[in-house]
Amino acid sequence: MSNEIEETMKRIQSHKGVVGTIVVNSEGIPIKSTLDNTTTVQYSGLISSLADKARSVVRDLDPSNDLTFLRIRSKKHEIMVAPDKEFILIVIQNPTE
Amino acid sequence: MPPKPATKKKKVASPNRVEVDDDLEEWKKSKQLLKPKDQIELQDFELKELVGRTLVMTNNQIPNNIVEFSYVEKSFIPVPQVTNYIVAYECRGTIIHRDTEEAKAIIAGTDGEDGGMLNVYKSLIFTPIGSEEFEDKDKEKDEEAPAEQEDVGESEGVEAPVEEKADEEKKEEEEEIKPVSAKKLTNQFNFCERAALTYTQPPRMQETQTTPPPVKTFSGNVLQWIIYDSYQIDYAEQLEEKERERERKEKDKAPVSKYLGPPRKSKKKLPVKKGFSEEQEMRIFECWKVLERMINLNTYDEIAKDYRYWEDPSDEFREEEGTLLPLWKYSYDKTKKHTVTHICWNPWYYDLFIVCFGYLEFLKPLTEGFICLFTIKNPSYPETICLTESAVMCSDIHPKYPYMMVCGMFDGNIQVYNIQASAKQPAYMTKSHETKHSGIIWAIKWVPDLPDGELNFYSVSNDGKVNNYVLMQTELSLTTIINLYLDRDAAAGPDGTLVKLKACATYIVLHPSNPIVYMVGTEEGLIYKCSINYNAQYLMTYQAHTMPVYKIHYNKYNSSVFISCSGDWRIKIWEDNRADPLFVFDLGASVMDVEWAPYSSTVFGAVTAEGKVYVYDLNVNKYKPICTQAVVSKKRNKLTTIAFNYNMPIVIVGDDKGMVTCVKLSPNLRVPCKPPKKQQHLDQWTLQCMKLDRLLALVREPSVLAVHTDISVSDKSTI
Repeated sequence: MSNEIEETMKRIQSHKGVVGTIVVNSEGIPIKSTLDNTTTVQYSGLISSLADKARSVVRDLDPSNDLTFLRIRSKKHEIMVAPDKEFILIVIQNPTE
Repeated sequence: MPPKPATKKKKVASPNRVEVDDDLEEWKKSKQLLKPKDQIELQDFELKELVGRTLVMTNNQIPNNIVEFSYVEKSFIPVPQVTNYIVAYECRGTIIHRDTEEAKAIIAGTDGEDGGMLNVYKSLIFTPIGSEEFEDKDKEKDEEAPAEQEDVGESEGVEAPVEEKADEEKKEEEEEIKPVSAKKLTNQFNFCERAALTYTQPPRMQETQTTPPPVKTFSGNVLQWIIYDSYQIDYAEQLEEKERERERKEKDKAPVSKYLGPPRKSKKKLPVKKGFSEEQEMRIFECWKVLERMINLNTYDEIAKDYRYWEDPSDEFREEEGTLLPLWKYSYDKTKKHTVTHICWNPWYYDLFIVCFGYLEFLKPLTEGFICLFTIKNPSYPETICLTESAVMCSDIHPKYPYMMVCGMFDGNIQVYNIQASAKQPAYMTKSHETKHSGIIWAIKWVPDLPDGELNFYSVSNDGKVNNYVLMQTELSLTTIINLYLDRDAAAGPDGTLVKLKACATYIVLHPSNPIVYMVGTEEGLIYKCSINYNAQYLMTYQAHTMPVYKIHYNKYNSSVFISCSGDWRIKIWEDNRADPLFVFDLGASVMDVEWAPYSSTVFGAVTAEGKVYVYDLNVNKYKPICTQAVVSKKRNKLTTIAFNYNMPIVIVGDDKGMVTCVKLSPNLRVPCKPPKKQQHLDQWTLQCMKLDRLLALVREPSVLAVHTDISVSDKSTI
């Protein structure tokens, strides 16, 4: 299974316009990243808190509901976040590229 | 004696105490020697002068010639000379010196009788008691120095017991003398008090400051969902507790099932792995997949919008013609050399389709085949990949169980995959040469389940057999339905034996409404209509084509109408039990695949080896295609398969370079039926059936002159 994950991650990284991918564990520590150190730390810190907040919003509205994905479209990038209890996957894409 | 104690005292004083002494005796220093005023001042030499003193035997103070007046004689009488002898103290004692004559006489005389007494004497004789006693008295008199007392006491202590014990201890005279036990005799009057002033310690302050303990601010929110979660956990625990209670009761009731206990525990004690568990990895994988789709959605944003919303506006100005809008192209790196041998949409998920990768160029064999499941959502990579040992030539998905996929191989083997369980290992496969086909499997089809629910499928192969496989518990059980013998005389083999020739089946299709009827296309260009009930004869034989039949497809709206295509460049539309085709279309190149459109009863699409897609609408034009479009390059690629989506107006076509192209049908290619004014209530299905019936009635008219019709239609179509 981990092989397939690795493969998928590589494939995603090779996609057109993908700036970087980050895997963050439950403690908010980035495990894998294709970006440089500072950017990774910044992204993982900010995104994980945002994901927490977003989850909180969704669950506050309906406790039986849950957050599954989060997409942030900015002028330059699109940040796609897959938040889970044990991990957070972050992909940053430049869709106009 | 007085100076002695002073010196002794200094010796006693330990060096440690010197300082203290100095401090204490400080006051002494200020004391000056006072001289009496009348003291004679003496010169040094005078002071040093030694004044001699001499002792003489005579008393110089004794008066000479002392006379006394005697009243008796009335004259002075000289008093005799006073001697020098003065008695200062007299004490009569019993002590005699042993050396004296008297003592010797006593010792000699009273030896036996008075021994005891004599011993006493002896002891007394030894010691110069007298002198000691004198000393004692002297010492007791000067009380000035208390320290001196101790020193003296020692010597006193030594002698004292002798005096006391003298009477008691008679035998050990000499030992007694030794100062063994120095018991001090205390004198109760000899009281002394000593005081000392201790050194006063000046008070001191000492302070230290530790580093302050780290301070941390804690904060947390209690939100509605946190409360909800904790209630959920609590509820789950309660349920678990109940379950355990129930199990315990059951165990008590049935002690036989006790062995069920341990394996449960071992399950709980799963080794804690580093990183993520299997389940979490599964979730990660799912998330990555979704993210990949998101990325693709961004990348192919325009295509996705076209797919959904773009309708060719020029169609309004074109009559009876339409276009195909190319959308995505699907390919997989490892199958660039393969030919797409078969594609079909998943009956459950309209955006999922299966692509079989095999090869048709038999001079360039490939060792392995692939079955890929692509989805519209992810055009860049297959959703699932099954790697097979041999090239895959055909496949089918079970209509009820959309995860059951059967595929036929180039080498005659059959594999059944349960994609939900595993895409890597087939759930069933033929293993021995007895169960597999002895030629290339060209078509495979699921058929309705057996009465007891077992899945089964039919397959046809070059070996002229139609086989029915049933999925048993662990294996595929084979039944040969029919051997497709040709309607010719047996041919003589090389050794003279007669061999009945068999047809090479290339396609099989089941009648959609009558499950016992099926049709088989052959390489000889014949189409056999067969029934499961007869394994030796055909219901009907259509002399359909002159080249291998590649596909037969029943019309969705009318199951008595079917279409066939062949390598002889022709597409033919047939009606059941009619030996001649209703329509014949010549496309000028071998027609690799043909299919009725699911949305219309009169529309069908076909692909040719020249790389063109043809779309016909018989209702619009019975002679010409309403769309002809080259999807791939004519020189390099040839199209091999076509499949209409049953939900969206899209078509996928596969080519021999492992590429699947998705095209969208323009509005003109899918014109819905307009209900007549009087029959507004009719639904699309009935309208489509009516449309086809009308068309058939038109074509059927000269049924008596069947041959003539065929020629005329084919002639027109070739124009």
